[in-house]
Amino acid sequence: MKLRILLSIALLAVALPVAAQQSTVTVIQNATILTVTQGTIEGGSILIRDGKIAQVGKDIKVPAGATVIDATGMYVTPGIIDCHSHIAIDGGVNEGSVAVSSMARIEDVIDPDDVDIYRDLAGGVTAANLLHGSANPIGGTNAVIKLRWGKDARGLLFEGAPPGIKFALGENPKRSNFTPPPGTPRRYPNTRMGVMDVIRQAFIEAREYKKQWDDYRKRSSAGEKNLLPPPRNLTLEPLVEILEGKRLVHAHAYRADEILQLIRLAEEFGFKIATFQHVLEGYKVADEMARHGAGGSTFSDWWAYKVEAYDAIPYNAALMTERGVVVSINSDSAEEARHLNQEAAKTMKFGGLSETEALKLVTLNPAKQLGIDKRVGSIEVGKDADLVIYDKHPLSVYSVPQKVLIDGEVYFDRQKDIAHRAEIEKERKELKEKEKPKEQKKDEKKPDEKKPEGAEVMP
Amino acid sequence: MKRATFLASVALLAGALAAPAHAQKAVVYALTGAKIYTLAGPPIENGTVIIRDGKIAAVGTGIEVPAGAEVIDAKGLQVYPGLFDSYSRLGLTEIGQVSATVDLNELNQYNPHLNAYSAIHPASEHIPVARANGITHAVSAPGGGGFGGGGGAVIPGQATLINLSGWTVEEMDIRKSVGLVLNWPSMQTTTFDLSTFETRQRPFAEVKKEYEERVGKLEEWLDAARQYAQAMVSPAASTIERDQKLEALVPVVKGELPVIVNANQERDIRNALEFCQKQKLRMILAGGGEAWKVKDELKKAGVPVILRPVQTLPMQEDDPYDRPNTTPGELNQAGVKIAIATFDSSDSRTLPYEAGNAVPFGLPWEEAIKAITLYPAQILGVGDQLGSIEVGKRANLIVTDGDPLEFKTQVRYLFIGGQPTSMENRHHQLYEKYRARPK
Amino acid sequence: MRLRRRSLFVVSWIAALGLLPALNWAQQSTKGSGQADTPNPPRRYAIRGARIVPVSGPVIENGTIVLANGVITAVGANITVPPEAWVIEGKGLTVYPGLIDALTTIGLPAPAEGPPGAQQAQQRVPRSEGAFDRPGTTSWENAADQIKTDDKRIENWRKHGFTSAVTVSDRGLIPGQAAFINLAGERTNDMIVRTPVGLRLNLRATGGFFTGYPGSLMGVLAYHKQVFADAEWSDKVWAMYSANPKGMERPAYDRSLPPLHSAVVNRWPVLIPATWAKEIQRALQLCQDLNVNAIIFGAHQGYAVADALAARRVPVLVSLKWPEREREGDPDAEEPLRVLRMRARAPSTPAALQKAGVKFAFYSDGIANPKDVLKNAKKAIDAGLPADAALRALTLNAAEIFGVADRLGSVEPGKIANLVVTDGDLFEEKTKVKMVFVDGRKFEAHEPGRPQEKPVINLTGKWKLTINAPQGPEERTADLTMAEDGTLSGSVTGPRGTASITSGWVSGNKFSFTVSITMGPRTLEATYNGTMEGNKMTGSVSFGPATIDFTGTRPDAN
Repeated sequence: MKLRILLSIALLAVALPVAAQQSTVTVIQNATILTVTQGTIEGGSILIRDGKIAQVGKDIKVPAGATVIDATGMYVTPGIIDCHSHIAIDGGVNEGSVAVSSMARIEDVIDPDDVDIYRDLAGGVTAANLLHGSANPIGGTNAVIKLRWGKDARGLLFEGAPPGIKFALGENPKRSNFTPPPGTPRRYPNTRMGVMDVIRQAFIEAREYKKQWDDYRKRSSAGEKNLLPPPRNLTLEPLVEILEGKRLVHAHAYRADEILQLIRLAEEFGFKIATFQHVLEGYKVADEMARHGAGGSTFSDWWAYKVEAYDAIPYNAALMTERGVVVSINSDSAEEARHLNQEAAKTMKFGGLSETEALKLVTLNPAKQLGIDKRVGSIEVGKDADLVIYDKHPLSVYSVPQKVLIDGEVYFDRQKDIAHRAEIEKERKELKEKEKPKEQKKDEKKPDEKKPEGAEVMP
Repeated sequence: MKRATFLASVALLAGALAAPAHAQKAVVYALTGAKIYTLAGPPIENGTVIIRDGKIAAVGTGIEVPAGAEVIDAKGLQVYPGLFDSYSRLGLTEIGQVSATVDLNELNQYNPHLNAYSAIHPASEHIPVARANGITHAVSAPGGGGFGGGGGAVIPGQATLINLSGWTVEEMDIRKSVGLVLNWPSMQTTTFDLSTFETRQRPFAEVKKEYEERVGKLEEWLDAARQYAQAMVSPAASTIERDQKLEALVPVVKGELPVIVNANQERDIRNALEFCQKQKLRMILAGGGEAWKVKDELKKAGVPVILRPVQTLPMQEDDPYDRPNTTPGELNQAGVKIAIATFDSSDSRTLPYEAGNAVPFGLPWEEAIKAITLYPAQILGVGDQLGSIEVGKRANLIVTDGDPLEFKTQVRYLFIGGQPTSMENRHHQLYEKYRARPK
Repeated sequence: MRLRRRSLFVVSWIAALGLLPALNWAQQSTKGSGQADTPNPPRRYAIRGARIVPVSGPVIENGTIVLANGVITAVGANITVPPEAWVIEGKGLTVYPGLIDALTTIGLPAPAEGPPGAQQAQQRVPRSEGAFDRPGTTSWENAADQIKTDDKRIENWRKHGFTSAVTVSDRGLIPGQAAFINLAGERTNDMIVRTPVGLRLNLRATGGFFTGYPGSLMGVLAYHKQVFADAEWSDKVWAMYSANPKGMERPAYDRSLPPLHSAVVNRWPVLIPATWAKEIQRALQLCQDLNVNAIIFGAHQGYAVADALAARRVPVLVSLKWPEREREGDPDAEEPLRVLRMRARAPSTPAALQKAGVKFAFYSDGIANPKDVLKNAKKAIDAGLPADAALRALTLNAAEIFGVADRLGSVEPGKIANLVVTDGDLFEEKTKVKMVFVDGRKFEAHEPGRPQEKPVINLTGKWKLTINAPQGPEERTADLTMAEDGTLSGSVTGPRGTASITSGWVSGNKFSFTVSITMGPRTLEATYNGTMEGNKMTGSVSFGPATIDFTGTRPDAN
């Protein structure tokens, strides 16, 4: 006990000078602060120290050397969290070849160059749940990122976010809406029966696999020699983590019945569904979802694009909320993510949620669903300074994010963005000019080459 | 007394499933005490609108309510022209992924004789859903996938203008044909194959050849139509076999029926513009993703633009992140007449928000309202009937409790063809049904 | 002084070698001498009075190199030429170590025609259902066992100064083991310097949404991790089973796995493709996950991650096929700044790697014409890479990266006699390769079958060529330069871009020049033969089996 304390003091001693050295303080002043958890503060300030919210309130003194952001007339909200995103993924969102693709890891293929990171950041999104596609009953594992545009793939990861995985039910995994090219065999499953069978079979195997490893570890730690470990199975490993409660299941589902089927199956195997994604009929079984403890992450108002979306209603978020489900509104689209605040606002019209409830749908609630609400999702002392500064009320159609901060750092600044545009154009022009072949530079117009058929074969 | 009757009839309507709009033929309605955004002049505070026989009979202050009129006390409310989705798929598609419910794309590349009118499904659940957000009339256009351009036939058919209410298409009809839809052939080297989920690269030379062939064929069709038109007025007309396709093209080559040209890329817009000018066609640009790059030419040629949704990603990686938001304002500023449309069916209800999203990026609020009311009416040649609250115009209007572009705002009353029309729909019914599910 | 002492040592070592039976192909003759049509070439040479660039040490301005039985025996300023050596006067010549192309498919069968998908369909590759199907895996295949000596590239590369190459198949996810080869030999075995020198992985999905596992990049990465884990386990289970099979379920035979296990335990370098910075970082992560030593190849955006590469001490093979705008693409397509920047900066990668202390070598990456390899290396010099570092990246660095620096890569006594002799600086465009030595065997640069008449015409200038193709005339432009001895150089530009002339000559009023064109996976040659009169030329171009007439004019000539 004592030793541990000493050790931690020693660790602190090492850590402190570094922290002190880089200590940065930012104060956002004179804003209307929508804290989400602690009401609205008019004319308030937020003091940010080393990336964390250090103080929130009306009378905050600006320490010497602090950077001051004057937000007079503006609104500050927690950063928007998108619980369902497919941006920043290289080389395919689906490993669609197999019914169970849990070996595929989004974390392995994060694309830090994807401009959609910046576009969504400019819409106020500070964190996103990058999910594998919905081609498989059990899909690949996820990656929760912060939209730290400019950082490399590792720098984007939301450090400490609980790992998750994608499941998918219904039309997509059974592939009702895709026709394979001629001569290609159809992939099992082809029905909702088969979808549930695939998931059940996978967990039977995962349970067996876990048992093998548990036995091995037990015998091995008992000192038994010449033990052969079980062969590693990268497909089953994430499922074992689900069984152990270490990995969150984000299950794409539309219809009420399939939502219930998966809840039953999960309860049979002793794990929990963290969120149902899309969950367009969640409003029909909200009580059951709430009882299981599953969150619902839905669209604001998309519907009718396929049969299982025909009963989708824009009141879904409000209805699930009323019944005690933790609800978020997600994008599933690089574009939609740019205005999730607006999507949340629609629930005030459809279902009559309050402003705070609406705002929660894209801040605190997705944070809860992703297990990162200790860090983000509201404006509270101790939380990460992931903030959006809007010029108007964020639930108005006219509001535009002016600055977006992550870890207290300004990653998006609208004025700077506008000022930077001419430079980009200039550089593009220069680089294009440089690339032109020399002859062409002299004589800008090259005669249009007439290329008869077969031209590509000739030297 | 009268008022009670009216409310009762609205309540009755509310109970009907996806209620077709027209109630028993009326009578005269009076909206009183409202702030009226006529769009023909400054808003009228505490004004009155009188609706008679489907038309606006009077608008202003100090107007006497005629005897026998059903009065709607709109004190504290606002009146606007009904919202106009000037490019939609309403009535033509029900469930996107179920081809049995989709009537957008006919076979063949050149189908000038087809008209969306002949496939409008008055009972589509999409129609009352759109209506509930204040959309009172819409153009329904055949063809295309997504926001105009790309995919589908070169000429998928003619677009029709309908009221979003009616038991039959005849009751919905405003104008059977408002234009011939032309998907300007685009030169796309990258294609996405939905059946394999893979992108495919094609050599530009091949793509260009295909493009030239398509445009060439289009020219042939137009020439043939001119020749047909000439022949049909000649003494030999009676001996000439009737050709539906050419017949449909005659008003187009005569410049009577506009061509609604879907194009988004700058090159396509320029090519289309050049083509239409050469062919002397009345062009309306639809989509217009990069129309801002051609704004001066569009202005000069007097070509209006029906813009695709503002909530779209920029077309180029290096485009400013807010490029789609600034486009309406920029075109408006340049003097190009614009409308904003959804190009969708199930999403048609988002029309006011699409317009609203252009406002903080340079489109004045009133222009944004006009872009989904008056301007599309003018662009499509029905400016004398629709788009503003003026005497003699069709009484398509909405009564709201606030700014129609804002999320919180509720549409309180909706008139189509002078009739108070239900805003009940499938979504609200499901809401009520499952809200009542015992815990 | 130091040189002399070393050379003494080498001489005695060579003497010892002399006692051994003949080791090398060049010395061995299975045919009786009576059957030989051509004389056996000399096995002892001395190049006297040449400028020597040893790479491993300072330049010797006026030095001598002695070669015997395939090995360099002496190098220095004051070397006595042994009386048995065949002397080559080196005045005006520069001697470099033979160039090494650090990653190729030279000698290996060319992939079938058509796009990869079509190919797969034709071959009826069974749909892979998972990692256990070992998709795209031929890890047991060693390039050394597959090389065909009749690959035209061997001679073509050698003519341009390349004496060695690393070669490995580029197909599938784990194509196999790489061999370090010398670019001359009568039989495959003669060419192998060392094998395996690495194991190649690919990261492009072999399957697709409907066509089998893996169909995505993340699926590919997962596959590599699974198959390496399987290899580790397989080794364990086989060891156990071999020790005591009784009562144990027989483990499965899987030829894919032992090479992977060898790669881990024997620290074979694992070659991983990565062009963009993000890909390089991903590759570094993969190597860590697989517990292997990596060599990154491609690396065009290496300039952005040079420090990370240096910190990880990962060697890099920089592709000299600098990125270009897609030729068949849409001319109006707007390319993002991200791409434009990378293209502009890619040639600065070698300089950045050099500065950061990353070990790197160059490779041709499918460039059709070996001449363009050096031309493109020059672009790296223009972008800030010191010329000696560029040379090193084409010689000693490659040898070091692949563990053969003890026998190759520099002009040092004791090393294999792989040399390239030029008439000037290697990176100057007008410089010509005069001769090449591979394993001490001399190859002249002149083309066989080239007539030796003195030129009576001058082809230098810009020509407009019209090819009378059956489907209608086609235009080409030829930019030609004729040297005094009639040697032609330059390029031909057509719809597929510009191709450099690989060989060409003028003799009397006749001329001939050849260009190589890359068409998908294949390289094809077109040879223009003809005569010139005034400012006009007529002749025929042969392209595969086809021969078509052409005419040419020189409009700019006065």
